[in-house]
Amino acid sequence: MPEPESELSSREVEHVARLARLGITPEEVVRYRDQLRHILTAIDALKRADTSRVPATAHPLEERNVMREDKPEPSLPAEDVLKNAPSREGPYFKVKAIQE
Amino acid sequence: MSLFQKTIRELHQMLVDNEISSVELTESVLDQIAAVGEKTKAYLVVTRELALRQAKAADERLRAKRDVKPLTGIPIALKDVLCVRDVVSTAGSKILKGFSPPYSATVVERLEAEGAVFLGKTNCDEFAMGSSNENSGYRPVHNPWALDRVPGGSSGGSAAAVASGEAIGALGSDTGGSIRQPAALTGIVGFKPTYGRVSRYGLIAFASSLDQIGPMTRDVADSAVLLQAIAGHDPRDSTSSPRPVPDYLSTLRDGVKGMRLGVPKEYFVAGMEPAVEQAVRDAIRLLEQQGASIEEVSLPHSDVALPAYYIIAPAEASSNLARYDGVRYGYQAEGAKNLIEEYMLTRQQGFGPEVKRRIVLGTYALSSGYYDAYYLQAQKVRTLIIDDFRRAFEKVDALLGATSPTVAFPLGAKTQDPVAMYLNDIITIPANLGNVCGISVPCGLADGLPIGLQVIAPGFREEIALQVAYAFEAATDLRKLQSPLMRAAAA
Repeated sequence: MPEPESELSSREVEHVARLARLGITPEEVVRYRDQLRHILTAIDALKRADTSRVPATAHPLEERNVMREDKPEPSLPAEDVLKNAPSREGPYFKVKAIQE
Repeated sequence: MSLFQKTIRELHQMLVDNEISSVELTESVLDQIAAVGEKTKAYLVVTRELALRQAKAADERLRAKRDVKPLTGIPIALKDVLCVRDVVSTAGSKILKGFSPPYSATVVERLEAEGAVFLGKTNCDEFAMGSSNENSGYRPVHNPWALDRVPGGSSGGSAAAVASGEAIGALGSDTGGSIRQPAALTGIVGFKPTYGRVSRYGLIAFASSLDQIGPMTRDVADSAVLLQAIAGHDPRDSTSSPRPVPDYLSTLRDGVKGMRLGVPKEYFVAGMEPAVEQAVRDAIRLLEQQGASIEEVSLPHSDVALPAYYIIAPAEASSNLARYDGVRYGYQAEGAKNLIEEYMLTRQQGFGPEVKRRIVLGTYALSSGYYDAYYLQAQKVRTLIIDDFRRAFEKVDALLGATSPTVAFPLGAKTQDPVAMYLNDIITIPANLGNVCGISVPCGLADGLPIGLQVIAPGFREEIALQVAYAFEAATDLRKLQSPLMRAAAA
């Protein structure tokens, strides 16, 4: 596992932005890199806590599996769901080609 | 006194006694919005026609004395993260500009069923990410106590609306302090219920394991009334709790005599303004005079709550915000060559800087190689914070501290320094991570700017938080405090 204190690089910012499907300009890469380095330095305080015997909490719920009866119920009308679509064709969302 | 200055409870009585109509009341509030709205910029959308239509319907209900509820005919503002069917709902983001939800949030339906009147959607930090409202994708909100200062955030529009007389009450959402901190900075009451107490169905998600909807009101009794209306299980949100909802008004006035109240020593943080500390210590003394026993307690992991939050919340946000891809709703960038490029451009142009920062931070914390060091460690720290509260509540009934370490700061003062901005939430974040409830109630002024006292109670013990906050409020004359904007407009 890489050491988190190794400074965040521009390449890592570009990589992470790509993973998040977030377009980012070269100026933004530098700005976010510097700001995130500053934030990560503050966050490094996390390592001070001894968690060697502590389980992780993913959510605070008392309930575990919440089940309901498997009976069909009406859905929203397709027209209501499609009314906000930036591009559509008939009863479908229209998207660009995935590959050129 | 103008109608828009009164509380939900006072106005309910006047409506029931037929002294006023809901249309009159709604017009009074709409007039105040017209008078000061451009100063506070509290609203993104004012739903004037809808409000007057709902007010007329409420008046019929009141006239017929049919199914009259505590909120029938009362004008309420809704934070823009709450979906209202066919009313533009954007979460303060350009990426959702013009989005018209096909359904309403459960809390919205519950208020509708009570006969409440909807004034509009209030401004907020984009996707509720912020502590000053300066991250709104549209325009910052100004504090009705001093227009050159922030109202806090992210529910700053709701807070400013209630504090300026532009709403009688409002709903906000709180992921790390977004109800309590703006309530403190604008001199109103803001209540974050326990996670699971209020349905999140129809709430535009920020961090799904932390988000909770709650009331923002002029006083504690109004907070109880509004919470009563929205609390309880919802089959459409499997994370909402099936626990029964107590009658919050029935215990509101029981006082603090014999109660044990804890003061976490870690909550008097470095950098806290002396006037804030003084007001909070005075408030604690006043509760002692009311018969509570006060003891110092320790929440030893408070110092790692903020770092844990700034991993967990951005990580959940980076996942939640993946849905904004320009395909099904919202903004879609033009000129992309293929689908991936369209996603990248849409998100680049649609999201503001703070949202992008948190998406990058959250994705980084979840990415291969860093997951254990950041995300998993933060989740373990969350367990430690839950344990801190559990141990403290073995000894005391509720905890007391400041809501925010500072009063409202000038617009622009912290926008260049994300870490300084994040510190605003240092004493509100633990309640979100620890799955407890917290209320902020006004406890004084410093140079004419409001200070908030925070009362934290165990999970699903909202009645205790309300009872302590009410006892404090009743022992002071702070309930009568009004922002200059509200006083001036009424004069």
